[in-house]
Amino acid sequence: MTNITEKIKLSLSKRQRSEKRFKFLGFIGISFAILFLIIILYSIFSQGQSAFKSTYIELNIFFDEKIIDVEGKRDIEDIKFANFRKIITNSLDNYFPEVEKREEKRKLHEFISSSEEKNLMNLVLSDQELIGKSKQLWLLASSTIDVIHKNPEMEEIVESDRLVDDLELSWFKTFKENGNLKFGFNKNFFSKADSTEPEQAGVLGSMLGSFFTLLITLILSFPIAVAAGVFLEELAPKNRFTDFIEVNINNLAAVPSIIFGLLGLAIFLNVMHLPRSAPIVGGMVLALMTLPTIIIATRASLKAVPPSIREAAIGLGATKFQTVNHHVLPLSMPGILTGTIIGMSQALGESAPLLMIGMVAFIVDIPGSFTDSATVLPVQIYLWKSTAARGFLELTAAGVMVLLTFLILMNGLAVFVRQKFEKKW
Amino acid sequence: MVMSNSIKIKSKKISVFYGDKKALDSINLEIPEKKVTSLIGPSGCGKSTFLRCLNRMNDTIDICRIEGKILIDEKNIYEKGLDPVLLRARIGMVFQKPNPFPKSIFDNVAYGPKIHGIVNSEDELNDLVKDSLKKAGLYNEVKDRLDEPGTSLSGGQQQRLCIARAIAVSPEVILMDEPCSALDPIATAIIEELIDELAKNFTIVIVTHSMQQAARVSQQTAFFHMGNLIEVGKTEEIFSMPKQVKTQDYITGKIG
Amino acid sequence: MGFWSFFTLLCLVGFYVNWYGTTKALRINSNIEKGPKLPSLPNYYGRHALLSFILVSTTILLVWIFLKPFILDLLLENKISVDLTSSFDGDPSMLIDTIKATNPNNFFPGTNPLIIESAKYYEYIKETSDSYVYLMVLFVALIFSIFSLRKISISFQARQSVEKTNINILIFCSVIAIITTIGIVFSLIFEAIRFFEKVPFFDFLFGLAWSPQTAIREDQVASQGAFGAVPIFSGTLLITLVAMSVAIPIGLLSAIYISEYANLKVRKFLKPVLEILAGVPTVVYGFFAAITVGPFLKDLVSFFGFSIASESALAAGGVMGIMIIPFISSLSDDVINSVPMSLREGSYAMGATKSETIMRVVLPAALPGIMGAILLAVSRAIGETMIVVMAAGIAANLTANPFEAVTTVTVQIVTLLVGDQEFDSAKTLAAFALGITLFFATLLLNLYALKIVRKYREIYD
Repeated sequence: MTNITEKIKLSLSKRQRSEKRFKFLGFIGISFAILFLIIILYSIFSQGQSAFKSTYIELNIFFDEKIIDVEGKRDIEDIKFANFRKIITNSLDNYFPEVEKREEKRKLHEFISSSEEKNLMNLVLSDQELIGKSKQLWLLASSTIDVIHKNPEMEEIVESDRLVDDLELSWFKTFKENGNLKFGFNKNFFSKADSTEPEQAGVLGSMLGSFFTLLITLILSFPIAVAAGVFLEELAPKNRFTDFIEVNINNLAAVPSIIFGLLGLAIFLNVMHLPRSAPIVGGMVLALMTLPTIIIATRASLKAVPPSIREAAIGLGATKFQTVNHHVLPLSMPGILTGTIIGMSQALGESAPLLMIGMVAFIVDIPGSFTDSATVLPVQIYLWKSTAARGFLELTAAGVMVLLTFLILMNGLAVFVRQKFEKKW
Repeated sequence: MVMSNSIKIKSKKISVFYGDKKALDSINLEIPEKKVTSLIGPSGCGKSTFLRCLNRMNDTIDICRIEGKILIDEKNIYEKGLDPVLLRARIGMVFQKPNPFPKSIFDNVAYGPKIHGIVNSEDELNDLVKDSLKKAGLYNEVKDRLDEPGTSLSGGQQQRLCIARAIAVSPEVILMDEPCSALDPIATAIIEELIDELAKNFTIVIVTHSMQQAARVSQQTAFFHMGNLIEVGKTEEIFSMPKQVKTQDYITGKIG
Repeated sequence: MGFWSFFTLLCLVGFYVNWYGTTKALRINSNIEKGPKLPSLPNYYGRHALLSFILVSTTILLVWIFLKPFILDLLLENKISVDLTSSFDGDPSMLIDTIKATNPNNFFPGTNPLIIESAKYYEYIKETSDSYVYLMVLFVALIFSIFSLRKISISFQARQSVEKTNINILIFCSVIAIITTIGIVFSLIFEAIRFFEKVPFFDFLFGLAWSPQTAIREDQVASQGAFGAVPIFSGTLLITLVAMSVAIPIGLLSAIYISEYANLKVRKFLKPVLEILAGVPTVVYGFFAAITVGPFLKDLVSFFGFSIASESALAAGGVMGIMIIPFISSLSDDVINSVPMSLREGSYAMGATKSETIMRVVLPAALPGIMGAILLAVSRAIGETMIVVMAAGIAANLTANPFEAVTTVTVQIVTLLVGDQEFDSAKTLAAFALGITLFFATLLLNLYALKIVRKYREIYD
């Protein structure tokens, strides 16, 4: 007997070492997972944060009456169609009177974003007194200047590798030395839709597109999924047919999302002729995808309600339907809502099926209804990523930050609902 | 041969806490070698908890805290730096519900010898498995199907397989936690016979909720109630003339 | 009548019908002085009428949504005069589409005035037809609810009827899952069949060359090998393989650490971390793969003197693996947790260490469930779209080298369909052939995996 104990003792230290190795291996595994998460978040934040500010240039703007209101009638229509570009270029020319060549002037004029023309127009429309006067104004710089401003190291590299040539760089430095250059909050990012110019592109359009799409998804999937979950968990007889429904639901939960896109394309667009690129179709496709998630969550939280409650209600003479409706369903609502929010946040991050139904178009207008052409936040990210132009990269990362913020808010809401309202039996 | 009435295990002021709840209160108990000691008492009285202290199975529960000493052959098993692995190899355990591993019958019995590296050759292992199955009285029933999964056996056979698994590493003590509560009367009778047989070579501590079983199989009986050890003594004395009122009440069915 | 005003009206009438039925039942009850009253509670009579109102109106509306395009086409065809047919200089079969595509308020100068006239007519019926249907819906639904209101009497058991209808509605909602599956199969199969009329099935399945972009021209459609999907399947497999070799070890080790080693506090921290990783949208992973991982790998590999494509299978597959880690770890965690504690205790009681218990008892017991989890993960990997669209290649490349760029089924579906609205060319139809292949491949994986997991649950439940 002691013989065996001795034998075990001998091998013990080796076994303890392999125990430690194994535990360490597990630790390495989970560390990798955490490390990846940190790297992903870090790389996005480091690239995206600069998109929230943009470069502004201070200019002395002269609201020349000869340009804005040639006839002097202060007619709003006249002002609207006035050449405000000319006003901006004039003040740039005044800032650098030494620039005379046409070619060079053209380059100089591109320092200011074209979106400022409309802003100046609105300024004049709101205060017609300005006409004929001068005013110091901070104007949004073009994206090229913005990139140079955000990456000071670019001033050092050779001209051919730089976005701007030596001349432009010297103007940029002049602005900087005179204190006429500053960073400001990027208002366009939260108030505009897509644009070909990075400094004018924003997420508002795609955010609203996501909102309309998700609204449709919620309206369609929530009632249907809860109804299906209640039927399958509480009322359905156990037979082949309900088994088949279950297999279908479980499988649908694992069908690749792009297949739902093909379904939407073939049936909603080609057969039913619903509008392309519209949130209503996107919402329908995402609703089909979200159904299994909510059904499964509904069933799980119905199952968690103890049978004693059902027995109590049925014992009082309630029908099965009344029992579910009056007692079981209200008790399981927190769980169902949590599942729904999680399903919605999955739908918010989904993009592949929406590519199939045309929500991938370049859309400058902010959508106002369910049938307007629109895109959604993740697809906007995809579109920006596919744009080669410099300046869109940080927009893409910033778009990701906005998307992640929404997802964190939604998941936080889910956690809140779960902790605040869910009963533990 | 060691003297038959020597003491194998001594528990000195053992207290167990689950979080803030005290499950055992300062238990002092001596367990004689190569005898069967049964622990009885109503459910929740701490008898299983005490049993699990003897091979430090309570260590696997996060919130469990233990005070006091348990001496096996005069050495404290709760001493710092002592590896429970070695302890558990010396003390086998059989559980309430038969829990054969999802492996073949052979591999179930070979599990202990393999992890501890007790055997040197394949033949030695074969013999050891055969021997253990014989000792557990299972060999004749399963000798033709050692490759079949352990879970394919009946409940009573599974429990005997677990016993064979435990004795394969030649432990000094075998702990049994209500080993028959999940079995039918016939399987129970077979296990009880086996316990008698095993007591020749092993020190056995058995937790049981059946007083009749305690009376049938054990030489010493300890009665637990609400985390306290109320009375301990020779089995026939406990059942015929208990000294404590509570023991009397329990045996006559006044408390349960 | 616009949709929203119609909808408001519908709701109001519905409320009224409900109220009327309930009060009528109450009135009848109060008029009965002796003897049995109505067999169901009064509000059930109101609800019965409301249900028939809702059901009839939604049915008509749904039918209308499906039939509208066909009915409009029919109306338009009847309107087309002989003059228009003869004066139309394009392909006669395109006439209807031409009219529909013409905007009567903003057309090219020189457009055939007859077409503009027809386009105006089309615009007109498109707008007015809805209003007529709305009116019809209100009218018919009202008639049905009046019928149901007239039925209120002592012999009518409203509750039973309402509950039966409700259960039927619930059944219908459950059946939507089946309808969706059927919808998927049908939407894929018809276009896929049209594709296989142009390209032989076996050429598609076993062909080694894939170049759909060149096949737009008619004479090249049937040219040998242009639609051989083998390089696409191999690319999908390669990326899946890379993803799995990242996800399986890390996911499994994480699951083991979380379920067996981490104490409660650490677990409470680790689980949400993995949930965040699982909640990151795939488009974000795609961006990360293309912008961060791709260039990083390129620098790393060229530092050692090798070369790697910037859209390598390694970058896309590796990031896809990261995406799948939480999927595998949470499924495996569930599976490992459902291995009964008694098995672990049995092993500990034998003197096994934790790692011995895990390797020799817990994992073998959990193996079927873990296999199921891995199969589901594979199914997810081959169906994953955004990561590969953003970080993998487009050109079909038959290679097993993860340093090279390969393409996948999903990438091809996206590139073939995005921006193309023509559904006659083999190019767009090929997307559906790929789609149905993808669907059936994942279907088999899912069904098999779900079966294993289900069986596993039965063992330990």
